[in-house]
Amino acid sequence: MELERLVVIWCPLLQQEGGRGEEARRFVQVVARAGEICPWVHPIRLGVCALPARGPARFFGGEEMVVRHLVEAVEEDGSVGVADGLFGAILAARSQLIVPAGEVAQFLAPWSVATLARPELAVTLQRLGVTTLGQFAALPAPHVSDRFGADAAACHRLCRGESGELAGVRDRAIDRRLRVARGEDPDQGSEPPPFQPGFFGGASAAETRAALSFARVQERLGVDAVLVGRLRGGRDPSEQAALVPWGSPEAEGPGTGGAPWPGRLPPPSPTRVLGVPQRAEMVDATGRAVVVSGRGLLESEVDRLSVEGGPWQPVVAWAGPWPVTERWWSVRRRRARLQMVMADGTARLLYNERTQWWVEALYD
Amino acid sequence: MFAFPAEIPTEKPLESPAEKAVEKSAPLRSRELPVGLADRVRPTTPVAGRLLPVPAPLVPLFPDGALRRGTTTTVAGEPGHGATTLALALLAAVSQAGSWCAAVGLPDPGVVAAAELGIDLRRVVFVPHPGRGWAEAAGDLLRGVDVVLVRPPGRARGTVARHLAARARDRQAALVVLVERGSDWPQGGDLALTVGDVEWQGIGQGHGHLQRRRAEVRVSGRRSAGRDAECTLWLPADSGVVAATAATVAKTAKGEDGSVGAGPDNGPKAA
Repeated sequence: MELERLVVIWCPLLQQEGGRGEEARRFVQVVARAGEICPWVHPIRLGVCALPARGPARFFGGEEMVVRHLVEAVEEDGSVGVADGLFGAILAARSQLIVPAGEVAQFLAPWSVATLARPELAVTLQRLGVTTLGQFAALPAPHVSDRFGADAAACHRLCRGESGELAGVRDRAIDRRLRVARGEDPDQGSEPPPFQPGFFGGASAAETRAALSFARVQERLGVDAVLVGRLRGGRDPSEQAALVPWGSPEAEGPGTGGAPWPGRLPPPSPTRVLGVPQRAEMVDATGRAVVVSGRGLLESEVDRLSVEGGPWQPVVAWAGPWPVTERWWSVRRRRARLQMVMADGTARLLYNERTQWWVEALYD
Repeated sequence: MFAFPAEIPTEKPLESPAEKAVEKSAPLRSRELPVGLADRVRPTTPVAGRLLPVPAPLVPLFPDGALRRGTTTTVAGEPGHGATTLALALLAAVSQAGSWCAAVGLPDPGVVAAAELGIDLRRVVFVPHPGRGWAEAAGDLLRGVDVVLVRPPGRARGTVARHLAARARDRQAALVVLVERGSDWPQGGDLALTVGDVEWQGIGQGHGHLQRRRAEVRVSGRRSAGRDAECTLWLPADSGVVAATAATVAKTAKGEDGSVGAGPDNGPKAA
């Protein structure tokens, strides 16, 4: 699966907390100023924050422009980089680079195995003559997991560009530390810390148990197989929310809480939002295709629907079309949305784009 | 091309920090136990209630008024008739209470709908595309979370169903299985919920919008205590939550527990 493209802001002088908490306070400012440029800025650890690249790049007209805006806004000694996955993006920020999509493995190849922050693994690998991430990536995967264990296998997938980040990169207490730096009550955040302190000063037993089971599934199916839902703003069901890998920076932030956007359909929302929309044909009682007029109305009454060339199914009710003129800076996408109930009791959400109908979501 | 050296000294595999953390908090590890016994010991579940809460409108469906830990519940219904909504609704109250939940094999889950149903998104992980590994993934997750919702890709094999039900029992988690027909889950569940007739309201021929869905839900199964019941629910109501219809509220109000029923703002504005 494709790794999420991330922008990382790296402020080396703010990485170590001094006695008076000055660094944390300045880092809070960095996060806030970056947040004025782009939403969804997530602190990763002291001195490092990340944000998804795709949306801002569309908005500002390219990743270079995003980087330029952030560099101007940050007002601290630091650097910005863009790459696929958090690990690569942090190294890209340290090198002040934008690594092209799909090329993170080549970018990582010359870095030392020590950058993995796994000292025991690094020593063992260097003893075997494996000194760079590229050499490590070239080892056959089954051998790595057999000889070195699951954590090394995770490092190996990272070096091959198959996963985006490693356990331990993020500071789980960062939100709490920043709340302290802001002078807020550390336990009175807008949401509880993701890990409750337990008997041993670390994660509680239930949290550890859950985290271990997620890690086991990730080991089995890949890091991107275990996802959590985050609400964002947006009109389309596919834009209002996102599924992001569990443990990724986007998964940790508060999200925007699904602030209602104008043009959003009222609830209930569909329970299944198709990753790949299904092509659909729609005709009136005379068998003519139903089209949306220039004024955003249906030119005839819907009678039946066929999905992906399947059999014609009678339509008993429909509503819309609701025209959706997509964001003002994009002139290409103009959509009209239609809800529809079939004779068998099922309901669907469809949209029309350039005279073609598509099934977008199902109300199961 | 780099050749993998043959003479690698066999070393203890590196342990991940998470594994180390667990070791620290569990001084008695199973591998320190006598052989023979190590296979039979089981980690104990921390003392917790035996029941996991469900949203108020669903309380009448459950003999205990809640999901019971260690049991399997099947949720069946024709595709598109609301079985997914009902199954997701079972995660709402549990996740709000702070328990972790997981949904395995639900392709393309509607995250906004899940939130509207009352699910706390911070406590639910989705494994939408487990492929052939769905049963193993569900088994792994039953070790770690309180409720696992799984949608098998087709009719499950008997051994797989027995294994997962046993895992849920051992780990004192609740297993919820989403199937098209109850018979798709061999042996059936301890409790079987079936969505029957449905009707969408609020939408006409070119006007209105999808507002709420009225659904008949039938309860049966070993743990239903012989009282096969049926009730009518809004699945969902117009705010996106599951709610009792006026008829169901009246019925339960007459029963032993008057507090059961839709919350004041759960019900649809007009029946």
